[in-house]
Amino acid sequence: MISTKIKSLFIALGISSSALAQDADSLLNQLGGNQKHDALTATFKASRIIFTQSTETEKKYDLNFLISHRFGDIGGDFGSSHTLWGLDIAQDLYIGFDYGITSKLTAGIGRSKHNELYNFFLKQKMLEQTKTFPVNATLFAQAGIIAREENSVNEFANGSDRNSYFLQALVSRKFSSAFSLQGSVGYLARPVGSEANDEKGLLSLGLAGRLKVTKRMALVGDYQFSNISRPDNLINTYYNSLGAGLEIETGGHVFALNFCNAPYINENNYIAETLKSWTDGGVRFGFTISRNFTLHKSKNPDINSKIY
Amino acid sequence: MNYLKSIKQSFLLAALFCPFFLQAQSNYSTRNGKISFFSSTPLEDIKAASNNGTAVLLSKTKDIAFQVPIKSFQFEKGLMQEHFNENYMESDKYPVAKFKGKLNQDIDLSKNGEYDVTSTGTLSLHGVDKPRTISGKLKVSDGKVQLISNFNVACVDHNIKIPTIVIAKVAEIIAVKVDAVLTPLTK
Repeated sequence: MISTKIKSLFIALGISSSALAQDADSLLNQLGGNQKHDALTATFKASRIIFTQSTETEKKYDLNFLISHRFGDIGGDFGSSHTLWGLDIAQDLYIGFDYGITSKLTAGIGRSKHNELYNFFLKQKMLEQTKTFPVNATLFAQAGIIAREENSVNEFANGSDRNSYFLQALVSRKFSSAFSLQGSVGYLARPVGSEANDEKGLLSLGLAGRLKVTKRMALVGDYQFSNISRPDNLINTYYNSLGAGLEIETGGHVFALNFCNAPYINENNYIAETLKSWTDGGVRFGFTISRNFTLHKSKNPDINSKIY
Repeated sequence: MNYLKSIKQSFLLAALFCPFFLQAQSNYSTRNGKISFFSSTPLEDIKAASNNGTAVLLSKTKDIAFQVPIKSFQFEKGLMQEHFNENYMESDKYPVAKFKGKLNQDIDLSKNGEYDVTSTGTLSLHGVDKPRTISGKLKVSDGKVQLISNFNVACVDHNIKIPTIVIAKVAEIIAVKVDAVLTPLTK
């Protein structure tokens, strides 16, 4: 009995003396299980890449105010010097607020000039990229209500014909501190198609990327492949949306300048209604300005910052 | 005979325990040391703090080490925190700040009291190692060791670049404060 106790004591001592033999470094590493600080931040700088949402959500209690603008066609029938290459025309305008309910759940409202569309959305970050986990994943759900008057009698025969819904799963990866890539699958549910033969529901696949060129400037590219599930015998030609731009970050503001063929800003508008193409001058200049506000001041005096 | 044997064994046990207890008291550690910093300019005062500092103190070798994950620093504004991590500290690349050194004084940590100490070693921050002698205070009470230190870090020493556009808002020298209560390490 006693001898087994002594034996276990020797073992215990063996372990403790090996712990004592360690140097400060290995002890620090033992203590430092800092897994929770492993998440990679800022895969994208803004909540939207150009026209596609990014996997980023707002920080907790932060309010993000966005103004987006799309000018008219640079070339083609509506472009050229007569419209100052589209700058005379406000093709679409979006004003919106995004609010971080938690650091992973954002709620947003907005209003577009096109269709006088009011949109409401929820965006939930599901997974975060860490040293050991490869990707970020975010779900996006949006409802849109068309507020404009009918363009033709009975265009909106039922009240619900004004409503559309968009669901999207976004997956992104920050490959390096300078380069991030995002893939997305979206589904737009509409009460009526764009024309008689059109599908009501549209599947849309997206690919977008960001390449940092300096600490505060990045090139962004965005593509939505929105016409996969559409029939071929439509009267109009519908195009996929392609955009390229420059993102400039200055503290609380992000300025995004871009060129794209999508004439509209909101998903519920542009996924189904991009009738413009890069090849016939249907490209436009656009910009987004977003301004971040911190609504909640921390009570912790250690982190109270003052701006004089 | 049995009686004698058990006495022998108890002596053996006591003899074994003695150094164990003595030595066990000589290593101290914490994993929730507080570290905060302060950047002051006429335009903005910026503060941030972390409660996730790990510290060890080995009294036998006089080794002292302190480490904090950069991402554990909390700011009042989430965006400030993101900029701190992304643009200044590049915390994906350099995830921790660390000081490792040796105490320059002989301190008897078994006695309660306040001791002014200095430690010479290396401060590693943003991928740059700097030899430093940092002064601080050790407060020993009832087997616990409180480590308190205030020191400055010059951004330029650690290759942390402040863009000219915010140069009036971010101080070039950052005041750092460490306050950690280390308890005896038992294993």
